[in-house]
Amino acid sequence: MTRRTLFTTLLGLVLALVVGPLVWSLATSLKPSGQILSAPPALLPDPATLDHYARLGREGVGRNLLNSVVNSLATVLLALVGGAAAGYAMSRFRFRGSRFLLVFFIAAMTIPAYSLLLPTQLLFDRIGLLDSAVTLPLLYVAHVIPMVVWVTKTQFDALPIELEQAATVDGYSRWEAARKIVIPGAKPALIAAGAYAFLVAWNDYITAATMTSSPALRTMPVALTFFQGFHGREWGPLMAGVVIATIPPVVLFIVFRRYLVGGFLSGAIKG
Amino acid sequence: MSAVLEGRPAQPESPAPRRRAARAPYLLVGPAALLIIATNLIPGLAAFYTSLRDMVFFHDRGFVGMDNYAELFGNPATWKAVGVSLQFTFAALVLGVLAALVTALVINRMGGTGRLIMTLFLIPWAMSPLVVAILWKWILAPFEGGLLVGILQFVGLGPVALLSDDLGAPAALVGVAVWRTFAFGAILLLAGLAQIPADLYRAASVDGHSAWEQFRRITLPLLKPSILIVVATLTISYFNEVQVIIGLTEGGPIKGTTTLSYLLYEIGFEESNQSYGNAIAVLMFVINMLLILAYVRILGMDRPKRRVGAGR
Repeated sequence: MTRRTLFTTLLGLVLALVVGPLVWSLATSLKPSGQILSAPPALLPDPATLDHYARLGREGVGRNLLNSVVNSLATVLLALVGGAAAGYAMSRFRFRGSRFLLVFFIAAMTIPAYSLLLPTQLLFDRIGLLDSAVTLPLLYVAHVIPMVVWVTKTQFDALPIELEQAATVDGYSRWEAARKIVIPGAKPALIAAGAYAFLVAWNDYITAATMTSSPALRTMPVALTFFQGFHGREWGPLMAGVVIATIPPVVLFIVFRRYLVGGFLSGAIKG
Repeated sequence: MSAVLEGRPAQPESPAPRRRAARAPYLLVGPAALLIIATNLIPGLAAFYTSLRDMVFFHDRGFVGMDNYAELFGNPATWKAVGVSLQFTFAALVLGVLAALVTALVINRMGGTGRLIMTLFLIPWAMSPLVVAILWKWILAPFEGGLLVGILQFVGLGPVALLSDDLGAPAALVGVAVWRTFAFGAILLLAGLAQIPADLYRAASVDGHSAWEQFRRITLPLLKPSILIVVATLTISYFNEVQVIIGLTEGGPIKGTTTLSYLLYEIGFEESNQSYGNAIAVLMFVINMLLILAYVRILGMDRPKRRVGAGR
């Protein structure tokens, strides 16, 4: 076997291992109930049906989706505003404690959120923040804001300060210069940070499952575990849920792939 | 990476609105810094404080000193979980880095198609870990209808209950963890490969070195910084993995996939044993800090002036 065919075979195998499961979940979600447990497994639904999606709809998956959307968008918005403001200060001002703060942000960026979740649960219980509508956005913003500070500071550092100085000479205030020159110049960093913030918020299960309990606050991943609990082996609706939960982050990822990969390489976005 | 840190020093303030300018950076940094203090520093201290008390179901029954730690370190379940964590992390790391390396090497030789294929490979990374686990649970289902069972039948084998097998379950867990993360590693390695000058290979070819020799003497040594970054990032990620375990194996069978992180979930969250759970959290935190220290050193974040690792 030549090296070329070996490589092609390997790549084909990996491709099948990656794409196969995705196609399989989609196929299962579209199969009529009777076909799902048939042996040998039918690879394609025949006929395709949206019954399982309708069923999820009747069980209130719309509410879970809405919760996921609202949490994720709130996270993106707050994290970008708070993070870019701090990143701007770290890049453009010299002030006491800024070096310490930078190390502080880097440290916070690397600490896995899960390792602090249990004490956070206790603290939130004590101050009455458990199981409220703001609980999750607040925590997701906290999880991603060090990353936003880091990538925006990096990008602000790379922007020539002369442009702002020229703008100030032309009579712009510092705030106007920031809004009209610095922020647009940092678009790639803001997009990367925003997309990653969305992914973190949308894909989280463990924070939502431990910090909220009301059915009204359930996000998509949490709802999926409840479907699993109630319906046991009803894989049709479950896979429909998997597909619904997967489409937004995957579309977002494909659209902003270039920016996210830039974030990977800067060490800000984790595996 | 550190191109960031070597960025120009901040510009001196223009003298005009000095008072306001002196306050401005603190106002801008304040919200982010306070939020991080509130959600990292304070919980960190709270974890340690709680681990010295007796607290179950949010009910504090007073100070017990090091009792929780004595119990934690005296409990065979702790050591078993540490062992499972090490095995899981190490196995996933070896397989994940290897898969990332092979993928990067193959994709690197392709043009635009390679980019398209990498995008496909990265889809699992963009998915929710819990959703990934549920998806794989269905694929590995041991009854008729399951994809694995179907494939095994196709090649003439009987069904296998992978997730209730004491070797199969940890293996499946490693596989799913790698499935989710290998492409992330491959991207970092691809960036590293792009940095290697093509001249080196040309010269080596002229000198009559085989492809394997070129790989061993040029690719591997020059890729080492990128490989180290991947190893460091994935180690932290695997060591803290809990969502895939919750969705796929729930720590079983017979605690065979109960890592330290899952033990924390079971005791801290499911049993609501805050004091004992926080002792585990502190232990995990200490291990994480050691890993992060190693990570920061490898990335050279502690040495602002040197350029290390994969650049853009």
